[in-house]
Amino acid sequence: MSARLARWAAGLVLCLLWPAAAVSAATADKAAPGVKVLRAAQVQAEVRGRREVWRTVNLPYHWDRVHRNRPGTALIEARFDLPQRAEEPYTLYFPLIGNAAEVWLNDRLLVRYGELDAANQDDFGKIARQVAVPPSLLGAHNVLRVQLRADGGRRGGLSEMYIGPAAQVHAHAVARAGAVRYSGSLFLGAFSLVVGFIALMCWASQRVVGPDGRLHRETLYLAAGLAELCWSVRVFDAMIEHPPVDWPLWGVLMTGAYAGWVCGVLLFCHRVAGWAHGRSMRFMNGAALTILATGLLCSALSFLWYRPVVLTAWLGTVSLCAVLYVLVFGIATLRRPNTARVLLAAAGVLNVAVGVRDWVTIRLSQDLGAVTWNRYVSVVFGLALLYIVLQRFHEASGQARDLLTTLQSRVAAREHELASTYSRLESAAREQARTHERERILRDMHDGVGAHLSAAIRQLQSDRSNPDEVLRTLRDSMDQLKLSIDAMQLPAGDVQGMLAGLRYRLEPRLAGAGIALAWAVDELPAWPRLDAAGMRHLQFLLFEAISNVLQHAHARTLRLEAAHSDEGLRIAVVDDGVGFDETRIPKAMQVRAGALGADLQLASGVGCTTVAVLLPMH
Amino acid sequence: MWFAKSLQASHEHGITSSLGGDAAVATCILQAMSSAPVTGVGASPEPWCVLAVEDDPRALAFFEASVRSSPALRWLAGLGTVADARGWMATTQDLPHVLLVDLGLPDGSGVDVIRAMAARFPACEALVVSVFGDEESVLASIEAGAVGYLHKDSAPEDIAQTILELKRGASPISPMIARRVLAKYRSLRTAAALQVPDPAEVPLLSTREQEVLGLIARGFSYAEIARLQGLSVHTVQTHIKNLYAKLAVHSKNEAVFEATRLGLLP
Repeated sequence: MSARLARWAAGLVLCLLWPAAAVSAATADKAAPGVKVLRAAQVQAEVRGRREVWRTVNLPYHWDRVHRNRPGTALIEARFDLPQRAEEPYTLYFPLIGNAAEVWLNDRLLVRYGELDAANQDDFGKIARQVAVPPSLLGAHNVLRVQLRADGGRRGGLSEMYIGPAAQVHAHAVARAGAVRYSGSLFLGAFSLVVGFIALMCWASQRVVGPDGRLHRETLYLAAGLAELCWSVRVFDAMIEHPPVDWPLWGVLMTGAYAGWVCGVLLFCHRVAGWAHGRSMRFMNGAALTILATGLLCSALSFLWYRPVVLTAWLGTVSLCAVLYVLVFGIATLRRPNTARVLLAAAGVLNVAVGVRDWVTIRLSQDLGAVTWNRYVSVVFGLALLYIVLQRFHEASGQARDLLTTLQSRVAAREHELASTYSRLESAAREQARTHERERILRDMHDGVGAHLSAAIRQLQSDRSNPDEVLRTLRDSMDQLKLSIDAMQLPAGDVQGMLAGLRYRLEPRLAGAGIALAWAVDELPAWPRLDAAGMRHLQFLLFEAISNVLQHAHARTLRLEAAHSDEGLRIAVVDDGVGFDETRIPKAMQVRAGALGADLQLASGVGCTTVAVLLPMH
Repeated sequence: MWFAKSLQASHEHGITSSLGGDAAVATCILQAMSSAPVTGVGASPEPWCVLAVEDDPRALAFFEASVRSSPALRWLAGLGTVADARGWMATTQDLPHVLLVDLGLPDGSGVDVIRAMAARFPACEALVVSVFGDEESVLASIEAGAVGYLHKDSAPEDIAQTILELKRGASPISPMIARRVLAKYRSLRTAAALQVPDPAEVPLLSTREQEVLGLIARGFSYAEIARLQGLSVHTVQTHIKNLYAKLAVHSKNEAVFEATRLGLLP
């Protein structure tokens, strides 16, 4: 921070040194003995077509003051002697000449600055001019004649003139001050232009959340950008020899640029102070508009009426307003200081002080050679403004970054939450599936293997145990176990596979019992309505029907039929045994048919018994 | 066992199997398939030598009794572990023709025994002993190189019968396994079409083999398939036997394919 302040202080000193150098230059011309200063001349002016008589004047010849801001032309003649013949190139230097002029030396045209006849157009009188003089043109007695065109209120005229060997003139303090003024204006204008563009870019690209919760652009950046652009126009004006519009409209525009700078700076300061949302902001907006409008008006009137006092009064008023605002701002800064406020208050005090000095020097005393200090001091404002704009931008980007980080962490947290919820759900689903599977296996064991084993135990325990019966019971148990294992591998709805497996498992039993199997199974489609449990029910139901045939029917042939139609899937076990009481449907089969939602049809007679299951399509 | 039973059933259905009746054809095939004891037409065949590897002593005793009850079979030894089996193979003077092996042995898998046997006695055919004949264990056995399986709850005569059927060229396959093989074959063929540049690397099932497999998957017996396709039962059995060989190759190809995919092979 201290390093930054030190840099700022250095910049400030530099800015102050330039005008100081310019001022000191006026009196420090003793170091160049070969340079002649022409401070008196014969002048014949022509105002409004009336030619005045020749008279002697002291330079600088301040046209607006002498001719009360009326436009006109003048012929100025100055004579000078050279003690010895000139051997080296000479330079003629004018701190001010204009608005347009022709320079003649010993009846030879040296240079032409603008068109003499085109009134209110070219203006060469804003910066110093110099012209090279060949030594051959110079004699012992010389006549320097300047033809001048001055537009009313445009600060035209002729300053004192310097002639001497080129090297000495260039080394002269006045020439050096002029060069500094020129390059300083160039640098300051460019600096303001850059700062203005940066601020406008920030304004165009940044959106902040306002107190109403909506996104809007930051007006602070706009105020800063416009202020700096206005100021750069104002500063660059010194370089513009051919303005795009005629005087005095161009003058009005330049006043407008100045007013724009003042307004922009005031609005910027007000926002930086944190008063953007108070009632004072509306007042400030109004005040800014008033300053701009009155500036344009007063400037126009001043040039139209040839009354510079109007513009002077406006400038004085603006300076007064600025002094008052700086006072208010300074007091507020003293009460609640922060870096931005302190910087602005310091820049404000400096600018207002310099502004008042400029007003007094240039507008009141109408010193033709005087230079505005404000153009140099305003760089402090520019720097403060740049610092604040960049700091705001940095803060806004930081906030955006923080927001983004927060958002990212929230999204990550939400993702994590979702993932854990999903994993909980998944594990619950898995647990449920495991529970269902466990229940199903337990039921199968209970109804199948368990029932058969307990039956076998009972058979062995009873006095009338028959080894064949026990063997049959145990084989039933084994078969059911194998069927259960097969069922686990079958995809849901694969009725064809289930029937094929049933045949594979039971055919040896049928063969052992001397029962021939007839296979009348069509190619069946997958039956999506049958889930794993449904498949088990169907398998057990058919197993039970076949088992009954094996045990009780004394059949010679068993036919397994399966076909599908529009009604649904029909599977039938048909045998040619002794038959049974069809009204007494085995309970286990009934329960399984009910669980399947299937229609169980029994038809029994001697020689033909049919147990059919009809699985409806829907 | 089931296969023998189904053959019996086929007989009882009046569908004649060519297997028992055409000893000459069977013998030719046997000679082509293995280094079985040389038999001539009409000559009394020498018994097939059987080795059993099973850690359950009761089951082992049961197998021994079953084998010894058949004059066509000769019991070589009953071993309880993979190490015992390897030791026996290293020192034996006898040539085993049939290996009965349990997959779950105390010191390893029966698959190791099958592989060791295939390396030492390539002509020996392995039958895996399975309690349930379920898909997983049967497919694993087939892919390890077994050509059939036995149920532990089979009747003693069925054990001998199954071994003899196997040596006559019959391999059992259940409809569930047929379905599984078909599904697996289809997916393998799709993968081959997509990724394996040389289709010859995946042995293709012939149309006839696919048809036979499809009918088995639908529950038809060999006799019924033979009638439906206009073939002999023996031809149907040959198709099944070929299928076994291809499945074993498939499993090897899959292993190579997987290893290549994982970057284990260049």
